[in-house]
Amino acid sequence: MKSKVLAIAGGLLAATALASAPAKAADVKIGLIGGVSGPIAAMAPAMIDAAQLAFQQVNEQGGVLGGDKLVGVVGDSACNPQGGTDAATKAVNIEGVVAIVGPHCSGAVLAAAGSVTIPAGITVVTPSGTSPEITGLADNDTVFRTVPSDDYQGRALARTLKGMDYNKVAVAYINNDYGTGLANAFKAEFEAQGGEIAGFSAHEDGKASYRSDLAELAKGGADTLVIFDYGDGTGLTILRQALENGFFSKFVGGDGMKSDAPIKELGAENLSTFVASSPVGEQSKSLDAFNEAFKASGGDPNAIFVTTSYDAAFLLALAVEKAGGDKAGVAAALRAVSNGEGEPILPGEWKKAKELIAAGTAIDYKGAAGDQNFDENGDVPGTYALFKVSGDGFETITEMK
Amino acid sequence: MELIGLANYALFMGIFIGIYALLALGLNIQWGFAGLFNAGIAGFFAVGAYASAILTSPHADGRLGGFELPFYVGWIGSMIAAALIAWPIGKICLRFRSDYLAIASIGVAEIIRLVIKSEAELTNSARGITNIPRPFGDLPYVESQMAYLAIVALVLLVAYLMVERQFNAPWGRMMRAIRDNELAARAMGKNIEYRRLEAFIFGAALMGLGGALFAHFNRSITPEAIDPMVATFLVWIMLILGGSGNNRGAILGAAVVWTIWSVSEIATDQLPQEYAVKAKYIRLFLIGLMLQLVLRFRPEGLLPEPLRGDQRSDDASSKS
Repeated sequence: MKSKVLAIAGGLLAATALASAPAKAADVKIGLIGGVSGPIAAMAPAMIDAAQLAFQQVNEQGGVLGGDKLVGVVGDSACNPQGGTDAATKAVNIEGVVAIVGPHCSGAVLAAAGSVTIPAGITVVTPSGTSPEITGLADNDTVFRTVPSDDYQGRALARTLKGMDYNKVAVAYINNDYGTGLANAFKAEFEAQGGEIAGFSAHEDGKASYRSDLAELAKGGADTLVIFDYGDGTGLTILRQALENGFFSKFVGGDGMKSDAPIKELGAENLSTFVASSPVGEQSKSLDAFNEAFKASGGDPNAIFVTTSYDAAFLLALAVEKAGGDKAGVAAALRAVSNGEGEPILPGEWKKAKELIAAGTAIDYKGAAGDQNFDENGDVPGTYALFKVSGDGFETITEMK
Repeated sequence: MELIGLANYALFMGIFIGIYALLALGLNIQWGFAGLFNAGIAGFFAVGAYASAILTSPHADGRLGGFELPFYVGWIGSMIAAALIAWPIGKICLRFRSDYLAIASIGVAEIIRLVIKSEAELTNSARGITNIPRPFGDLPYVESQMAYLAIVALVLLVAYLMVERQFNAPWGRMMRAIRDNELAARAMGKNIEYRRLEAFIFGAALMGLGGALFAHFNRSITPEAIDPMVATFLVWIMLILGGSGNNRGAILGAAVVWTIWSVSEIATDQLPQEYAVKAKYIRLFLIGLMLQLVLRFRPEGLLPEPLRGDQRSDDASSKS
C-alpha cells in the first residue's frame, strides 16, 4: 500500500521532471507571463496571441541577431503574487529568457519584480499592470509598462476640466480599486489646480437608490457631479437619479461611464451636459497596421490590452536586437528604441528596424497603443480624450493632456 | 537550461516549500491535533503578511506605516497580530461543528480580504504595500535566495521542533482526546472550548508567520495574494496528502504538492504552442486528481499520524 502511493507520487514527480527537455540553443527566448488561469483568464489568451504575433513577424522577417528565432515562452501567473513569482523564476532560471512581457496583474508584477527580475537584472514590460505602486518600485530601471497608470487618467481629467471652467465639483466614486484610484488622483490634481471639491464620497455597488448619497453631495453647492463608476451598472442609476431629482446640472464621467447604456436608457437629449473621458488608441497608421495584422492572424483587435501586449513584445524584440542579445543591456536599449527621436518604426516593420539598428541609426517605435515613450519611471502617458454625447454615440471634444 | 539556473530554481522552490510548510504546520495544529476545519487560512496568512509589512516598510503617504523596524520584529508582530485576530474569531466560530466551522471560516477570510482591500489608511487598499525590506536582499540574486532559504529553513525547523514537542506533550494527547471523543474528554474535566481556542490561535499565529515570510520574500504584498486557491485549498491538499496529525507529513506534503504544482508547468510548456496555454489548466486538474487518489487509496496521507504509545518514545529519543 505504502509503496504504491509512493510510486504514484514519485511517478508524477519523475514524469514532470523528465518532460522538461532543454530547447534548441539557437532560440532567443522572451517570457510571456500572463494570468492564464485565474480572474482574467478570459482576457489573457488574446493578449498572449498579440504578443506572439509580434514574435511571428520578427521571425518571418529575418529573426533577431544573426537570424535566430525569437520564441515566446508562456508562463501562468494566475493573476496572483504566488503564481507570478513562480512563473518568473521558471522563465528566468529554467528557460533563460532575455526579457519578460508581463505579468498581467499588478500584484503579480510587484511580486515577480521584487523577488525575481530586479535581482536577476531582467527587463520586464507589463502590458496591463496599472497600479500606481509600480511607478515607485526601486527597480534599477528594469520595470516598464506600455499601459498608463491609473493615476494618469484622473490627473489628466482634472487638468482638462479646470481648463474648461469647471471650478467646483462633487465626486461620487465606486468603492473598488478602479474608482478609488481614479477619484484620489482626480481630487489631488483638481485641488492643486485651484479647483474646489465640494463633495467626495464612495458608494457601494448595486443599490436601488442613491438619492441620499446624491443629496449629501449636492449640499456642498457644486453644480457638477463627477462620477467614477461603470455606465452600464451603478453609474447609470446615479446619473438617472441625479437627473430626475435635479441635484446637479452638469455631469462628468471617467472611462467606465463612456458606455452606450446611458444614451439608450436616458436619451441623448437629456445628456447634453454630460462629458466623459476615455483612452483613445491614437488614430494612427500604427494602429491600422496592427489591426490589419492581428485580424489576419485570427485575433480580435478590439479585445482589451491587445495593443499594449503587442507593443510590449515588439519593443522588447527591438531592444534585444539593439542590445545584441545581452540581457543586462536590454533595459537601456529599450529606452533607446523608444525615446521619441530617430527614424519612426511602425508595428510589423521589423526588417526596416533591423537594418537601421545594424547601420547604427537611431530608431523610434511608434506603437499601436500610443507612441510608447517611457518616462523616467518606465511609465507611458496615456492618450485620453474628452467626449460629449452626440446623436446615438460619443464625439470627441478635446484631447486631454 | 544551465546548471546554475536549475540550482536557483531549486532554491526558489525551497523557499516556497518552507513558507507553505509553515502554513501546513499551522493547519496541522488546528485540524490534525484539534479537529478544527479552518477553511480561512488565507485570512490569517494575509493578516500576518500585512502586519509585518506595516511594521517594517518605509514611510508611504496615505497609509499607516513608516516604522522601519527590523524584519524579525515584523515577524514576531505578524504572529501576534494573527493570534489577536484569531481570538475573537475563535470565540465566536468555534462553537460550530466541522462543516459549519468551515463555512464560517471561509466567510471570515473573505471579510479580512475585503477589509484589506478597502482600508486605504491601514493597508493602502487595492494597491498593496511595496518596498518591504528583505533580509539579505542586497546580495546578488543567487546569494540572496540562498540566504533567505537559510532563514526560512531555520524558522521552519524551530517551528517544527516546537510543534512536535507540543504534539508529544500532555497537551497534544489532550487535544487528540478532545478531537477523537469530545464527550469523554469533557467528562475527564477538560475545558473543551478553551483548549480549542488555544489550538486555533497557535495555528493562526504560524499561518501569520508564513504570510510574513511570503511578503518579505516578494518585497510586496497585495490583496491578490489572498487567493483561496493558492493560500487555502493548496495548503489543505498539502496537509491531507502529507498526513494530517503528523508534522513531518505536513512538511513532506508541502514539498510534494508544491513541486508538482510548479514543475508540472515546465512539463506542459514542452507541448506545441496551441496546447501550451490550455495545458496550464491541467495543473488545477492534477492537484484535484491527486486529492481524489489520496482520499480514495490512502486517506491517512503519505506519513500517517503516529500511533500513541508504541512509537512515541523512539521518536522522541531520535529527534532531540
